[in-house]
Amino acid sequence: MTTTTKKTSTPPIFYVLAALSLLGVVVGIYRLATGLAYTTNLSNGVPWGIWIAFDFFAVPLSAGAFTLAATLHIFNRHKYHGVAHLALLAGWLGYLMVVLVLVLDINRWDQFWSVLLPWNWNLHSFMFEVALSITLYFGVMMLELVPVVFGRKNWLAVQTVERLTPLIAGVGVLLSTVHQSSIGAIFLILGHRLDPLWWSPIIPLHFFTSALFSGLSVAILLALLTWRAMRQPAPMSLLTSIAKVSGIIMIIYLVLKIGDLLLAGDLGLAFGGSGAVSLLFWLEIVLIAVAMGIYLSGAREKENNLLIGSICTLVALMINRWTIAWFAFKPTTGYTYSPHWMEIAIIVAAFAGGILFYSLGVRNLPVLREGLAEEVQH
Amino acid sequence: MSGGDYGNNSAVLVDLVRCMGCRACQVACKAWNDNPGEITACLGCYDNPPDYSADTWSLIQFSEVEDNNKLHWIFPKRQCMHCLHPACVSACPVQALHKLDSGPVVYDAGKCIGCRYCMVACPFSVPRIDFGEFLPEITKCTFCADRQSEGMEPACVKACPTDALVFGKRDELIAEAKARIAKRPDKYVNHIYGEHEAGGTSWMYLAPVAFDKIIPVKGVEAGFPMLGPEPAPQVSETVAIYGTPSALAIVGGTLAGIYWITKRRMEQMGKKGGK
Repeated sequence: MTTTTKKTSTPPIFYVLAALSLLGVVVGIYRLATGLAYTTNLSNGVPWGIWIAFDFFAVPLSAGAFTLAATLHIFNRHKYHGVAHLALLAGWLGYLMVVLVLVLDINRWDQFWSVLLPWNWNLHSFMFEVALSITLYFGVMMLELVPVVFGRKNWLAVQTVERLTPLIAGVGVLLSTVHQSSIGAIFLILGHRLDPLWWSPIIPLHFFTSALFSGLSVAILLALLTWRAMRQPAPMSLLTSIAKVSGIIMIIYLVLKIGDLLLAGDLGLAFGGSGAVSLLFWLEIVLIAVAMGIYLSGAREKENNLLIGSICTLVALMINRWTIAWFAFKPTTGYTYSPHWMEIAIIVAAFAGGILFYSLGVRNLPVLREGLAEEVQH
Repeated sequence: MSGGDYGNNSAVLVDLVRCMGCRACQVACKAWNDNPGEITACLGCYDNPPDYSADTWSLIQFSEVEDNNKLHWIFPKRQCMHCLHPACVSACPVQALHKLDSGPVVYDAGKCIGCRYCMVACPFSVPRIDFGEFLPEITKCTFCADRQSEGMEPACVKACPTDALVFGKRDELIAEAKARIAKRPDKYVNHIYGEHEAGGTSWMYLAPVAFDKIIPVKGVEAGFPMLGPEPAPQVSETVAIYGTPSALAIVGGTLAGIYWITKRRMEQMGKKGGK
């Protein structure tokens, strides 16, 4: 593909990101060739570590793709297509990283296809729902990306996909609804492991609503950073509308979460009942409150405030998912866990690779660039 | 989750009053399943190895309990409990774990993807893998399903010299346990562990002291977690059976409705704008 953009010098951060990604590839191959004992500190008492915690975080982080796809094709608000394309590219890369890390994590990765065979499906298992739905959605996202990547070609296949876009987007939204909430539902059967401050029979709703507002916040953050990198003013009228919706969903999330604790009579857990780990509960609430304050007030009109709000939201999401998958998740008595450096290297590489390919995509995909340029004129 | 009558399931009654801690069961298990011994260090107590592992599916633990000014030396045998409503089976995404009609919960390595959900889902922390292996299988006690299918009792039961392990039908063993408690209420606490815990288990225990007092000398998971009578996967399966389809229907219907309304509105606006 020929790029019409003027050649700019590659910033040094690209080389850093590339080196970190490459280290991840090497460690990943070593992990697949040897075994978990050589690359992780997992044990029979702590069978789940930071790799799966990363997956629990990265999936809602990538939720911007489906929320904006819905905005575009279901709610028919087509002026958002520039932002939506950014979120779609980032989301697809997010899911790619999730799938790669997941393959490293499972100890019988050679049989991953087993989950695709209908006669193996266990409809009672939320791990099944998540695995199948993420796999299918990954394919749906690739279809959604076709017009973005090949939009300038007049191929029949591209035209067909473009015509079917509302249907494809609808299927994507359904699949996302399923796995964003099912990831939470995975913990329903883990009540003996997860601290009661986080465990709840409606934990799927907690996960779904937080995925919604986090996905929208990622879209805001991406748009701000991308337009900034292109040295153009961000389309603030669009971003403030997204922020408002995100803020409203935050209210729903907090009502569900705190109302649930009140009804169950478990609010005392947040005031010492659950010990030091309850600090993480409060940190999350405070960060969401800050973001909500910005999103739902006049403060959202300023770019820097939106930047702060979206970053607060993402940190809150990370705290929530990592607490549930790690800090508030009890190991079997007698076992402890702190991650191996190679486990950390894989997570770092996943983020580095995602950011690297995202930047390359924005630089080299003409449709994305046109979308961005158009939007500024709104 | 089928209601099911589990009275005819095969079961084992472990009488911790009769057990003398000889570990013949532990050895018989290794012999029958061809599991190698483990190289371990002295822990300063009798426990060896310290916990279940991929090579040790049946384990005798040593517990010293002071109760009513009396010292009890208790040797809880631990293995898969073969729950009537197993959390591992419910959790497994690919049906690699399943419960046979006769009772045993068994594993099919050919389906397993190694997500280790069963390991965290089990309320007794039973499934194990060898993390040092290339593509390790999930391992756990099979209830000697292979022996049972040939009409034999499990290897550990066969090896027990004091009849602390008794193999039989589940409801017969519950009756037997109740009879033992009634006959010697001074020797037994009035509690059959496993009759109701987590919806009931195939392995059930009698003990001289309350089960929550039986804590291994070494700091490993107590074998008798205090669990309610509801099946471990109940909440999860209820949400899976009713929650997922209704969420799909509600979200799908709402999305289709919104699509139709906004599309129509856009068309009307387009007509107005076009005139």
